[in-house]
Amino acid sequence: MKTRLLLAGVAGLAMLQSLSAAYAQSGQVTLAAYDGIFQTEYMATVIAGFQEAYPDIEVNYYPMANSAATLGTLRAQKSAPQVDVVIFDVSVAKAATDEGLLAELDRETVTNLNDLYDTAFTEGVNAAAVTFDNLVLLYNTKAIAEAPTSWEALWDPAYDGRVVIPAAPDIQGIAMTIIANQLAGGTDYTDGLDAGVEKMGELAPHVQTWEPTPDPYQPIMNAQADIGIGWNARGQIFSDQSNGSMGVVIPTEGSVFQINAIGTVAGSANEEAAKIFMNYALSPEAQAAFTERMFYAPTNEKAQPAPEALERTAATPERMETMLDINWLEVAQFREALTERWRREVIALSR
Amino acid sequence: MTATDTAPAAAPFRLSGRQIVPLLIMPILIVNAVSFIWPTLSLLRMSLNEPIAGGAIRETLTLQTYVSVMTDSFYLELVWNSVYLCSIITAFTLLLSYPIALFIHRADPKWKSLLTLMVISPLLVSAVVRTYGWVIILGDQGLINALLLGSGLVDQPVRLIFNNFGVMVGLVEILMPYMILSLMAGFGRLDPRLEEAAQSLGAKRLTTLYRVTIPLTAPGIALGCLLVFVLSISSFVTPKLLGGGRVFLLATEIYDQSIVLLNWPLAASLSMLVLVIFGAALVVYSRVVKALD
Repeated sequence: MKTRLLLAGVAGLAMLQSLSAAYAQSGQVTLAAYDGIFQTEYMATVIAGFQEAYPDIEVNYYPMANSAATLGTLRAQKSAPQVDVVIFDVSVAKAATDEGLLAELDRETVTNLNDLYDTAFTEGVNAAAVTFDNLVLLYNTKAIAEAPTSWEALWDPAYDGRVVIPAAPDIQGIAMTIIANQLAGGTDYTDGLDAGVEKMGELAPHVQTWEPTPDPYQPIMNAQADIGIGWNARGQIFSDQSNGSMGVVIPTEGSVFQINAIGTVAGSANEEAAKIFMNYALSPEAQAAFTERMFYAPTNEKAQPAPEALERTAATPERMETMLDINWLEVAQFREALTERWRREVIALSR
Repeated sequence: MTATDTAPAAAPFRLSGRQIVPLLIMPILIVNAVSFIWPTLSLLRMSLNEPIAGGAIRETLTLQTYVSVMTDSFYLELVWNSVYLCSIITAFTLLLSYPIALFIHRADPKWKSLLTLMVISPLLVSAVVRTYGWVIILGDQGLINALLLGSGLVDQPVRLIFNNFGVMVGLVEILMPYMILSLMAGFGRLDPRLEEAAQSLGAKRLTTLYRVTIPLTAPGIALGCLLVFVLSISSFVTPKLLGGGRVFLLATEIYDQSIVLLNWPLAASLSMLVLVIFGAALVVYSRVVKALD
């Protein structure tokens, strides 16, 4: 009798567990991530794939203008989060972690975390890299017939007044300073950026705008400018969309990575569904699909995107060797001070 | 029972004038409290927090951000630059709007409404769209540069946007309708017979303008200048699009601090500073109006 009762109890528990597991497979999850072209392509690849694999979990896409807007939303909803999963810049993810807005990484449920590259994790950040992007050189193919190979092309006097650079505090301007520092013979950026700031100052008089609108890609595609800098993924996709009127180059001197991180929101009401979604977003198939669609380098070591797509990212073995090491959390510490230097020592020279 | 039967005297209770005033202003008080006073207080609270490098915020009570704004030469320059540029914009807007407003005021009544409509019509198009229009007109390959290059006056395109000049052109164009409408509202006291009297007494046209027309329209000028100054110092989209990252103004700096650098406390204290400048502009305005009376 006792054994039967025990057995029944065990069976009941097992049933409950399977029920709760089934429950976790349904419900809904709200993802806050970038709007615009990122949203279009992410919906078409990763979210479409997720809906196929988990038809009972509904994904709501909450489009955000930028990472700071996402952070602002998390702050505003701290007591009652409406967002379950976020994708935003890693340095903003650090601020969110510091304010207790992100749940800790759960390697037991989000098993794909164990297959990510080491560089996908940043100390003290409760989010893991979901895309790797990198700074690139953009040029108008009608104005510049032969593709430049070096960052030095920006300093070519032939493009006087035709250069667009998003200035610091934008991280493109910050990243460019670190690259310029290397070009000017500086050592590691942590030893100071004097050489880089001076080199950017030499570029300043040639710059048409420090604030290309709506982004650096449009003025170059529309021939308002000849050359500039931007991000690889967006650059590649806009290059295709503009029928090749804009070219994208990852220069031979290398570049720096930008990291978008994914994390689940602390206190989210849909925690289980959120983790299932995060796990799917980091899976080899989702990673490969998004690389093939938008040319972000995958963060999962096991992802195998088509070689021709990988060729258009910085994740090829030869390029990986040239990439400059950058710790965005260290950069976040001096970003404001560097912005001040930009205003006094760089932008002031272009008036 | 029809509506006419309920005469005020027959109403079950009647509010006296003293009771009805607070009741009537209650809606606007509530709207103001929710949409202005509460956010302003939150902003004040945010400005007293401590920003941590990297974007996090520590909740505390400190005047740190105010101290850095008051002692950093960059922010002092920023305030000066904003006030200076916006004053110039206000002056140009007035110069260009005054003749138009005067013309419309004196126009035949049957044309008046059409002309007024023409003045207001730019407001139907978003400021962003109009600003992009200026990017096309003033750009290197734009209309103005094409004319200059074609006439041989210059051999290289002149930079007309992505600097102070571009921001001024854009803002003056956007703010002119507001100035014209304020001026026309203040032209009520301008009796054409007074100008005729001045001229019949031998005053030249310029003398009439200086001694009769302008003094009589001064309240409208003061109102228009206040409105345009306040609108220009808080404008953000046009300086952002036409400034090319070279024109540093309070509004664009608040955007950079809050959206790009995540330094909300500093952005909040700069916003409070803008509020103080608004207050100063209002004080100047009321002094001017009092002096005019």
